[in-house]
Amino acid sequence: MSDSRTDPRLALEFCGLHLNTPLVLLSGCVGFGEEYTRVAGFSNRDAGAICLKGTTGQARLGNAPHRVYETPDGMLNAIGLQNPGVDHVVDHTLPQLDFEETRFFANVSGSTIEEYIEVTRRFDDSPIDAIEINISCPNVKEGGVAFGNDPDMSARVVEACRKVTSKPLITKLSPNQTDIAENARRCIEAGTDAFAVINTLMGMAVDVENRRAVIGNNQGGLSGPAIKPIALLKVQQVYQVAAPHNVPIIGQGGVMNATDALEFLIAGASTVGVGTGLFYDPLCLPKILHGISDYMDRHGYTHVRDLTGTLQLNGAVSACAPPAPQDPAT
Amino acid sequence: MTVPETASRPHRGTIFQENGRILDHHDAGADQWILRVHAPECARAAQPGQFAHLQCAPRLLMRRPLSIQRVDREAGWVEFLYKVVGDGTLALSQQAQGDTLSVLGPIGQPFRLHPERPKRLLLGGGVGIPPMIFLAHHLHLRGEAGQTHAVLGSEVPFPFHPRPSEILWPGLPHGAIATLPLLEDWGVACRLTSKAGIPGAHDGFVTDLARAWLKTLAPAERDQVELFACGPHPMLAACAELAAEFDLPCQVSLEEFMACAVGGCAGCTVPVRTPEGVAMKRVCVDGPVFAAADVFPEPERA
Repeated sequence: MSDSRTDPRLALEFCGLHLNTPLVLLSGCVGFGEEYTRVAGFSNRDAGAICLKGTTGQARLGNAPHRVYETPDGMLNAIGLQNPGVDHVVDHTLPQLDFEETRFFANVSGSTIEEYIEVTRRFDDSPIDAIEINISCPNVKEGGVAFGNDPDMSARVVEACRKVTSKPLITKLSPNQTDIAENARRCIEAGTDAFAVINTLMGMAVDVENRRAVIGNNQGGLSGPAIKPIALLKVQQVYQVAAPHNVPIIGQGGVMNATDALEFLIAGASTVGVGTGLFYDPLCLPKILHGISDYMDRHGYTHVRDLTGTLQLNGAVSACAPPAPQDPAT
Repeated sequence: MTVPETASRPHRGTIFQENGRILDHHDAGADQWILRVHAPECARAAQPGQFAHLQCAPRLLMRRPLSIQRVDREAGWVEFLYKVVGDGTLALSQQAQGDTLSVLGPIGQPFRLHPERPKRLLLGGGVGIPPMIFLAHHLHLRGEAGQTHAVLGSEVPFPFHPRPSEILWPGLPHGAIATLPLLEDWGVACRLTSKAGIPGAHDGFVTDLARAWLKTLAPAERDQVELFACGPHPMLAACAELAAEFDLPCQVSLEEFMACAVGGCAGCTVPVRTPEGVAMKRVCVDGPVFAAADVFPEPERA
């Protein structure tokens, strides 16, 4: 396995698309697809797909600084959907991308269902390979609650987007809700083809000297290894709902190395998202791929897809059973 | 849709990730440290104004951006000067000579030198001093040190030993005699400022000395001046104001919290004036060097 990029066991089909590898570069971490190629040794070919930055109907300037801040084993970000608007992305950005190197997914964001429809429709008429819906945006017409925090609103967004595109639709689920499995169920009914699990968890950092929120937007999304255990559980929960419908999952949240990636595959993911991990090590992709190949060698797997959902749960009953009553005679 | 991998993509492969051995790392006083790391690719490619994104300790998720102070392309090292201000720089200060450090660099738009403005005035404050040292060295190597002037300010003891300058610099207030020996050796006229009562340093701000000098120049001479500044935000705003006052161009190097440092996350953006209106520009790859007039527009200067 001198070159994991060419390890045929790692190539897979995802929503009918051929991916070179099971790694997906996450929206918001890799700009509009070319930024990381600045780093010598980085290749878009190591990614099965690259999810472009969140795109809205009109250009947005995004939030005031500071937008990022380190927290224990993680980081907060509140970028605020800075993007040049969907027309610019379709007309000027996509023609610059090399679709021979990898697959490119759009990330659709909006403040209203109408905006999601508008952006999705525009991407439908473009070379983009698939469309990820970021349902974690605030719904400005209904009090600013994130669409994705509510199964009903989530399903309405997915249903609306489904009507205007035949491209694969990936719904990015939020962990900031009570029952992610129920949300997933509703999104499947509404026509999603895949899930990305999970988006960031909302958090905050405080500058005690100045008694101010550090992040310009006050709150931000927490990512990195700190959220991995949560992400793994959510993937496992969504997998229970999605697997019977053959709806695949991009498992994501704090993936730094091959072991992390394997955990997500085993928990039920078909592909694994890498985002914050690139900030730590921009050249982590080939290392993760090598690590997955090595694992497959050691465990006799002939294809990466065979790892998906191989998690063995422990017998919960015995673990929670009360201790046996003691013999009063002893 | 297919484009060759590098032909039309000159940005590709311009930043290097190197695991470099720490060649020297010493405490320069007042929580300031000078760090020299073996990173030959970065050293070869770096230009004044650029920075590197350092992994301060393996346990820390986010790297920290540090301005490059000097490079030696033949020996293959890159030097930084930094101040301990938080967890990252504290962890970095605990790395010892011989340890290995992940260096990602060089990154960003460097200072641009305009031949029609050969009189260059370098203004550095605190941890904004390093890029001025790099620029001064670069100008020295180009044989342009004689036309270069530098004013460096600090509110804590300088991370080097000032000495009286032997390079004449007429028009400055009496008592401004101390210089940075390195710049003196390169033939760059340099003076120091501080409000902390440092002997030989002018009791004031870098812009005070800069203004004093600019006032002594005849209009034709002044038209050949360009300002280069790096330092705390209020200092940069004052430099922008000074440049506007004398109608001179000024390039400023900015800093902001940074995650990816390669243009991917838009975490380090600042508002910048463009012909199309205000845009949020990334300090990492669109900067860190910007035109002062574009980041400190008139209302903020006033």
